[in-house]
Amino acid sequence: MRTDVWLVIAGMAIVTYLTRAPLLFVLARRPLPPRLRLWLRLIPLAVLPAIAFPMVLVERDAAGARLALSLLHPPLWGAAVVLALAALRMNLLLTVAVGVAVVALLRALA
Amino acid sequence: MPSVFVYGTVFGGLAVQAGLRPLEVWGMSVLVFAGASQFVAVPLLAAGAPAAAIVLTTYVINMRHYLMAATLAPSFRAFPRGWLALVAHVINDESFAVAVARRHPPDPWVFIGSAAAVSGAFLAGVAVGTPLGGLVADPARWGLDFAFPAVFLALVALQLRRPADWAVALVAAALAIAIARALPGTWHIVIAGFVVSALAALVLEPEAS
Repeated sequence: MRTDVWLVIAGMAIVTYLTRAPLLFVLARRPLPPRLRLWLRLIPLAVLPAIAFPMVLVERDAAGARLALSLLHPPLWGAAVVLALAALRMNLLLTVAVGVAVVALLRALA
Repeated sequence: MPSVFVYGTVFGGLAVQAGLRPLEVWGMSVLVFAGASQFVAVPLLAAGAPAAAIVLTTYVINMRHYLMAATLAPSFRAFPRGWLALVAHVINDESFAVAVARRHPPDPWVFIGSAAAVSGAFLAGVAVGTPLGGLVADPARWGLDFAFPAVFLALVALQLRRPADWAVALVAAALAIAIARALPGTWHIVIAGFVVSALAALVLEPEAS
């Protein structure tokens, strides 16, 4: 039993429940103000790219952080393929599978 | 539902691959039950990131539930509080989309039915995925490390509706890249996600409904 890992999981569970329960209990009658509603809709649109783009474009190691913009960087091509397929409304899992396959193929060729 | 099962399988496999134990992966899936945030938390946990950073990042990613809970609330007006406490825990993107697409305000039973199916499929997928995760020796060789960013990129591309959405996503991406080069940990997610969405909500015109 790794207490530190379970503490993180418990913390994640608590804050996630706090994003779900309060408005379900309180807001049964009153609608949400439009600007607050807009903000809540925009949050994932800002959070998801903020997670994904640095994962693809920023290399971090003991020596520090740098941009990985070389055309020989397989995740760059994987990301381009994923964005294109998702924009064409392809199924999410199929999109991810093709992106993973592109990265694997480019690494095998390198 | 099949896609949720596969999503759970991939998550279970990658989480074990990253170094989590099957029971931890299963526990996280039951207690947190929010796929995107779990995908983000796993590599952080494996890398030994500070607990507060992981929890804060989880919170920012899952803030989108506020909107879903607010939209669902009128449909559940007549339900006892004990039910609400349970329904709250299974609020998820897919069931929300299904319930809202059918009727306005959403039918509470359509939502509950979908949420039961989604949670069952996700947890079954995780149960199948965790033993598989230990079988792949070199995940990077198969591109599996790329599955994490690929899921997030695909999710955001699916949500871009208005031209302003593109601006929000691109500004957040650029700011996050700049912060990730300067600061360690997950500050780029928290700062770029929070600041860019809040500023955009102040500047942009709220849409109708």
